[in-house]
Amino acid sequence: MARLMDIGLEKLRNMVLDMAKLSEDTVSTSIDAYVKGKDLRDRVYGWSEELRILQDEVSELAIELIARYQPVATDLRFIKSCMEVAYGFSRFGRYAHDISDVEGIFGDLSMCDKTAIVQAGDQAKNMIRVSIKAFTERNIQMAGRLKTMDDVVDSAYLDFVKKSAKNPGGDLRCTVSATLILRYLERIADHATYVGETVLYIVSGERAARK
Amino acid sequence: MTLSLQLEELKPASSEASAIRSTMEKFKIQTEKLNAWFANNHVLKDLSINVKENEVTAIIGPSGCGKSTFIRCLNRMHELVPGARSSGAVLLDNTNVYARGTDPVTVRRKVGMVFQKPNPFPTMSVYDNVAAGLKLNGVRDHQKLDRAVKRSLELAFLWDEVKTDLDKSGVSLSGGQQQRLCIARALAVEPEVILMDEPCSALDPIATAKIEELIASLKSQYTVVIVTHNMQQAARVSDSTAFLYLGKLIEYGGTTQLFENPKEELTERYLTGKFG
Repeated sequence: MARLMDIGLEKLRNMVLDMAKLSEDTVSTSIDAYVKGKDLRDRVYGWSEELRILQDEVSELAIELIARYQPVATDLRFIKSCMEVAYGFSRFGRYAHDISDVEGIFGDLSMCDKTAIVQAGDQAKNMIRVSIKAFTERNIQMAGRLKTMDDVVDSAYLDFVKKSAKNPGGDLRCTVSATLILRYLERIADHATYVGETVLYIVSGERAARK
Repeated sequence: MTLSLQLEELKPASSEASAIRSTMEKFKIQTEKLNAWFANNHVLKDLSINVKENEVTAIIGPSGCGKSTFIRCLNRMHELVPGARSSGAVLLDNTNVYARGTDPVTVRRKVGMVFQKPNPFPTMSVYDNVAAGLKLNGVRDHQKLDRAVKRSLELAFLWDEVKTDLDKSGVSLSGGQQQRLCIARALAVEPEVILMDEPCSALDPIATAKIEELIASLKSQYTVVIVTHNMQQAARVSDSTAFLYLGKLIEYGGTTQLFENPKEELTERYLTGKFG
């Protein structure tokens, strides 16, 4: 027999999955726009605002479910996790917006070497996809891979900063803009890892240890 | 006030403090392989539970799982039912209440009980309802009785509401007040443990909230064991929760852990309403 709460939980799940798709598109669009030198700030900004609004709606529904049904155990952990994951997705939107702003701040960056960003961007996009799939399938093993993947993005950011500090001779606009974007990608990767951590929490009730 | 105290208690303790506290924890009641029957019906099966002192322990489970029988075994009320019997041990401060020579009346004075429906003595005043147990125990000193009645009614959060109506009939009070009167009556004989069998099931939300606040305040002086069908109530008032099913103890642990992350699949299914 279906429980009344199940209707609300299904709705919550679908809202979070809608956010997942939109956040993935938002991040991909912002990275691609930067790499190809396109100005897609308005589109990315619109999507990031949509993600922010959706996050509020997820929170409202989650609070309503808690107030109406006083969920416990897996139900409670799932609702709590949906709120955390929705926050993570809204952060994806916010960082994508920041990435799309970089060209606006620095102007034409077509002369810059974007290899590090392309590589870190691919890894971050891949992490978003894995985190969404792990959340959808409640797959702990898949979620566990995200920590290792996160290390790659962390290294890309730190290596670039260290390299720039050692050899400060390059184009300052290229260096600063790439540093900013790598930093945003590093944060996106962190949030993808947090999404993965919620999978462990939903399934087992355990909280992943953080570095 | 109560809420702020509870929030204070919720602050995470350091691991060192937790370790010290856990070594200082004292069990007020321990059951060892407790079994109970109604004639041939085996309703409790090898229940071993340690109830911590000055805590509220909730007993939850579906109808017929043995919750009420369990707490009625703790103060030897189960044996009052014709054909009922039990085996195993119930230790109150490490002394078996079923040991030969133990007076069940003494046990029931130490382990008081509050029932599902408020049951004040219908022919007695508010005052006499509270004083009844003391009078039965031979207390005749009026000043002593007055002090005990006032103290008990204060502990039951009822004094301010009835202090000018002590001569009124106990049954003239509202349902919630009657239940608090019964709690005051139980407290008057200075028990060490209070058993509550669905104490709020007949009460409205406001009266229920008062009883819950009362339960939270009582645990500083008493050990409380409460049977409830209302899982949210168990989650609100208790420190530890035991889940019974078909007379067996399925899971027993800290209330927060049990409600957020039950270890047993059966507990999970019961709590989330996915039973059957």
